Amino acid sequence: MAALITQAPILIIAIPLVAAFLTPLIGMASKKARNALVIVSLVFVAFLVFALARDVVINGIHVYTLGATSPGQTIPTGFMVPVRIILEIDAMSAFFSIIWSIVSLAAAIYSLSHIANETGQTRFYTLLLLMVTGGFGMMFTGDLFNLFVFLEIASISGGALIAFRTRFGDTQEGGFKYIVVSAIAGLMVLFATGILYGQYNSLNIAILAQAIQYTTLDQIALALLLIAFAMKTGMVPLHLWFPDAYSVAPASITGMLVITSHACMYAAFRVCFTLYGAVIDAPVVGWILIAFGLLTMFIGVTMAVFQKDVMRFMSYHAISQLGYMWLGVGVGLAVLGNPGLLATYGRDAMSGGIFHILNHAMYKPLLFFTGGALFHLTGTRDLAKMGGLAHKMKWTTILYIIGTLSISGIPPLNGFSSKILIYESVYQFNPIFTVIGIIVSILTLASFTKAFHSAFMGAELPEYKGVKGVPRSMIVGMVILAAGIIFITLFPAQIVNWILHPAADALIDRGAYINAVTGVIP
Amino acid sequence: MTHILESGYAFWNPIVWIIVFIVVLIVVYFFRRRGQKEYKKDTDQTRIFLCGGEVPEAGERHIRVGNIYWGFFETLKEYYKQILRPHTGIINDYVLWFVAITAVSALVLLIAGLAK
Amino acid sequence: MEHMPLNFPFLAAALLAAVSFYIMIFKKNLIKLIMGIAMMSSAVNLFLVALGYRAGGNAPIYTDVPEGPMVLPVPQALTLTSIVINVAVLALMLTMVMQIYRHTGSLDSEKSRKLKG
Repeated sequence: MAALITQAPILIIAIPLVAAFLTPLIGMASKKARNALVIVSLVFVAFLVFALARDVVINGIHVYTLGATSPGQTIPTGFMVPVRIILEIDAMSAFFSIIWSIVSLAAAIYSLSHIANETGQTRFYTLLLLMVTGGFGMMFTGDLFNLFVFLEIASISGGALIAFRTRFGDTQEGGFKYIVVSAIAGLMVLFATGILYGQYNSLNIAILAQAIQYTTLDQIALALLLIAFAMKTGMVPLHLWFPDAYSVAPASITGMLVITSHACMYAAFRVCFTLYGAVIDAPVVGWILIAFGLLTMFIGVTMAVFQKDVMRFMSYHAISQLGYMWLGVGVGLAVLGNPGLLATYGRDAMSGGIFHILNHAMYKPLLFFTGGALFHLTGTRDLAKMGGLAHKMKWTTILYIIGTLSISGIPPLNGFSSKILIYESVYQFNPIFTVIGIIVSILTLASFTKAFHSAFMGAELPEYKGVKGVPRSMIVGMVILAAGIIFITLFPAQIVNWILHPAADALIDRGAYINAVTGVIP
Repeated sequence: MTHILESGYAFWNPIVWIIVFIVVLIVVYFFRRRGQKEYKKDTDQTRIFLCGGEVPEAGERHIRVGNIYWGFFETLKEYYKQILRPHTGIINDYVLWFVAITAVSALVLLIAGLAK
Repeated sequence: MEHMPLNFPFLAAALLAAVSFYIMIFKKNLIKLIMGIAMMSSAVNLFLVALGYRAGGNAPIYTDVPEGPMVLPVPQALTLTSIVINVAVLALMLTMVMQIYRHTGSLDSEKSRKLKG
């Protein structure tokens, strides 16, 4: 078991990759075997992720050097700097990998029925497993170039999956916009990596963090990296592609793409806090993040109230909730240099922002899955054509209500826990931020009530009298996420103490990250 | 291990909230039991009443999504006109926004770096 | 790279990047947009290879190497990976533009859009 946990970082990346290459072979033989392969590999990966996360929280940072005699030997004998590819998992990476494993498992189970009538399902599952690999790679990697490679793997497979249903025209347009935006963001990340490599002759994040000085070129590289990753997460005003791409994808893929956006946010945090942590102009970058976060929250939700297409409406809400995370972590970054304020509310603001990432990863894919169930049943995403569907989809209605109460921050659900953490700590920084946050919450609840009435309430419409209910595997996928929501609802304090405070501390304290690679005993 | 989430000023305990909610639900149930006993489902008592006139069929009396929150949108018409202008759907504009925001952020960082 | 002299490769990379951004922002034809992205990837690849160059350097191969410095091999590895990734991205984008043309009959980024607002 200990050997499994030591090798877990590379296994978590390699198992979906190998399964992705085996899927077409097994898919030629039997469909059931292919589905079983996908689900079993994702369950095994989830088990490994939980074991690894538990070990990281208890025992500290895990390092895995590819190709060395032992995984912990980051610097080869006789060398001064690490030369191999290093995977480094600290509490923040472990946290993100937990949510990625849960959501990808739920999405795979959901897809079993959602795309059951499409052709080319084998390719769908291959691309899904490749996207899982890309996500895990982005969260585990210890150097900048692998970040670019895995970012592109996740983007390419994500884009191909968005455009999966080629019989519709708007899916192609959404997929095209996603690929163009991802290509530009990836190229800018590579450009910034080149700038940093040219100056410091290393690609490893820990070594760069040690060596970095804040030259002009470094500032340009920081702007490129931050804005490229922020564009991929859908920060306003770079969010224009986000609803186009996320509304037309199959619902399971949209759920996974939301977590890919979170992974890009993880990359942005890694750049700001760890890579540039020692030299960054913390108040300026913090205020940039806060300003964009507030703009994102407000514009996201006001656009969302306006929408008539159910999946587009939910993607605007995803944009607005991502603004909460930028706000929380931005406040933490703005007070990073001030230890007193950091202890008073900075760490709580960061924990709130990161807690919001966890909650968002649970309820947002759930809401997208309910939207997909609506699409599956009625054949349309237009809310104006729906009505009275609660009679046919009782489970989906209950899960939609749980998702709505959660996203609006209604007690006792998990959204309330993270929002109150953010509100309380951000209030001490500037009260106006809390006011804007509460207004956004109110508008969120209002817009979800509007969609609830349009789609679910009312008498049964004659055109939907004959439809069968929602297939069981879709319900199971949604229930997995709802179980996560209920779990976080009941135990917020344990989750904060066990997962979130270690994650926030891992960002604030970059010394442990650097020491894990350079070998100095912390 | 406590269930309490500390957050600076306040604390939040979901178990207490749920217990209070269940107590309130029990009280509500007892209120309901003392209510009218003559209510029967599926009789004329549950028929829809719209000011005594004719009730249109389900497809027509369901309020569609374009009409909900009409007052809100009417009041904020100017705001929505302005906010919908950048949302063109043309991909060239998306790249333009990216270049603009990167340039602005780089400028802000450079100026802040010089001023330090 | 402490003092950035105005070397030709870096200037060329910056020029290519500027031209590709101009194409991506102002040209409405989707195929031209894809060409702009291809040019952007060329700019970044040129930048990476130029980073590794050392004046008078030889190829970074140890067999029968003449005397003198070697150019850095790591940026060349980065460039190869980047070229391969960008080939995949370009192929995918061209496929999607084909499908957009099949569905909407137009290659103009303004006329072929269905999603807005």
